[in-house]
Amino acid sequence: MQTSTKAKAAMGVLGTLTIAGVAAWIYQLANGLGVTGMSNGTSWGLYITMFMFFVGLSAGGLIVASSASVFHVADYKKVALPAVILSTVCICCAGMFVLIDLGGIQRVWRIITGPNPLSPLFWDICVITLYLAINVVYLAFMTSKKPGAADKVAVVSRFALPVAILVHSVTAWIFGLEMAREGWYSAIMAPLFVVSAMDSGLALLILSLMGLNKSGRFKTDKKLLSNLAGLLAVCIAVDAFLVGCEVLTMAYPGAAGAETLAIMATGATAPFFWFEIVIGLLIPFCILVFTKNRARMGLVAAASVCVVAGVFFKRVWLLLTSFVELNVAGAPGVSLGTTAAQQGGAGMWALAGSYAPTWVEIVVAIGVVSLGALAFVMLAQKLLPGGAPKREAVNVAAGEAA
Amino acid sequence: MTRLAIAINLDRCTGCNTCAMACKMQNNVPMGMAWNRVLNEDCEFEVGVQGTYPHVSRSHLPVACQHCENPACLRVCPTGATYKDDKGRVEIDYEKCIGCRMCMAACPYNARVFNWNEPVRDPDFNYGDKDVPVRGKGVVEKCTLCKERTDRGDEPMCVKCCLAKARIFGDLDDPESEVSRVVRERNATALLPEQGTRPQVRYFN
Repeated sequence: MQTSTKAKAAMGVLGTLTIAGVAAWIYQLANGLGVTGMSNGTSWGLYITMFMFFVGLSAGGLIVASSASVFHVADYKKVALPAVILSTVCICCAGMFVLIDLGGIQRVWRIITGPNPLSPLFWDICVITLYLAINVVYLAFMTSKKPGAADKVAVVSRFALPVAILVHSVTAWIFGLEMAREGWYSAIMAPLFVVSAMDSGLALLILSLMGLNKSGRFKTDKKLLSNLAGLLAVCIAVDAFLVGCEVLTMAYPGAAGAETLAIMATGATAPFFWFEIVIGLLIPFCILVFTKNRARMGLVAAASVCVVAGVFFKRVWLLLTSFVELNVAGAPGVSLGTTAAQQGGAGMWALAGSYAPTWVEIVVAIGVVSLGALAFVMLAQKLLPGGAPKREAVNVAAGEAA
Repeated sequence: MTRLAIAINLDRCTGCNTCAMACKMQNNVPMGMAWNRVLNEDCEFEVGVQGTYPHVSRSHLPVACQHCENPACLRVCPTGATYKDDKGRVEIDYEKCIGCRMCMAACPYNARVFNWNEPVRDPDFNYGDKDVPVRGKGVVEKCTLCKERTDRGDEPMCVKCCLAKARIFGDLDDPESEVSRVVRERNATALLPEQGTRPQVRYFN
């Protein structure tokens, strides 16, 4: 009875936060994107950061679930259903963040009636739609009681795995193909996004499974969680390796890349960079690399929270660092176009890009995350076998907030 | 084919900002943004100088849309709102712009500005050319090479108003045009050639 009340309270809080987010979004629609912290200098901010982050988070689930069928990992089959639910919810959140970031959402149908096939954003919209469709079909077959559904799951998973890899690659190409931005324009972006997606997605999956365990809704045995934690350790190591390769390549010639690296290492985005390196990669790897630690669920949970937070911080420095320096420099710089700039005077100009999210962006982002947590709870309630009420929403939200 | 272009003589440019003001008036550019800017190179202040006294110098660089032959902004636009027209100008169809700002991330010259808010004008009326479309909030805009004027056979307003006669407007595909001659004979260069955008706006001394 006590759990039930707690669960209800948690749902109530999430519901309220969602409503607050919707209200903030309506405020933004009425007043324009000027209510955000973005400007002509830094033209993308928290929304695109969250978009990258959530595309990544949705990976873990689908990759674990589909590897279960493709590579016949029998253990993973047991968690395939909650994994795909998580994946579906996260990709919906990612899609919402792209739409929220648009200045002219009322004209968004133009992408369908007159798409430019060369645009990475158009590719991304296609691949995300396909990915969502595969998730839904996957869920439908997994929960179907008709004979032969299991075979269909096996077929879908063979498509799901490559599409999951593609969705992260295409998201990376939105940035990685922009030659104008030092720090983005790199062939390593796609592999880096795939592996960041795998480690943050896997970490969130572990946290969600622990939450479901606690709620009694769905049981995952410790051995499987330890096993997933082992896979997580491998992904963290690969992630760190790719980040290292990129940093060395930027630094070595001592040219433009080194200037961008200086912004990351000692400049405006340094706190985010070092947080990711230390708390997102180093600490969780050192915890999870030991078998003994992987058996202790408290440590696994802590490491998972570190990884999710670390990857969020990576999205922040990855996005914002490349907006700081202007290719064509000189006073007075760029005209900002913001609400403050509309007052005229020297405040209209900036010599470098800078950005801080406003309360509107933060409330909208929390609203979307809350909606995602609510959706996960409800879908888990509806689709998972089992009975008692659940509390994982709190854990999911805690993971996000970290 | 036609490739309308501007060549700017940096030795003649005095940094008076008349081109920036003329652009703003002609194109009804709202408060807080500029399609055309005059940068004081290697300086942190608009009135600053390069070097230390008495060894100082000043150089000005007017920057607007470079009307590239290989525009990075055009490639990434998901709806085709940014297009290259038959006169070689890079233009925006505001009806198609969804405000995703892919183009702003792609442009190496920071030539593009976005209507973050409902546009504000001071004085509070549309001061632009009557043929220039009025943009609303949520769309990207930039130098059109004065599409409305050049369609009528006039020069862009920045060229017309330049006090120092530093700007030359014409067709790069016409070898007899003055702009072609200058590009040929004065070794006019492009901004950030390493970006491979092949700008039609050129600079010479």
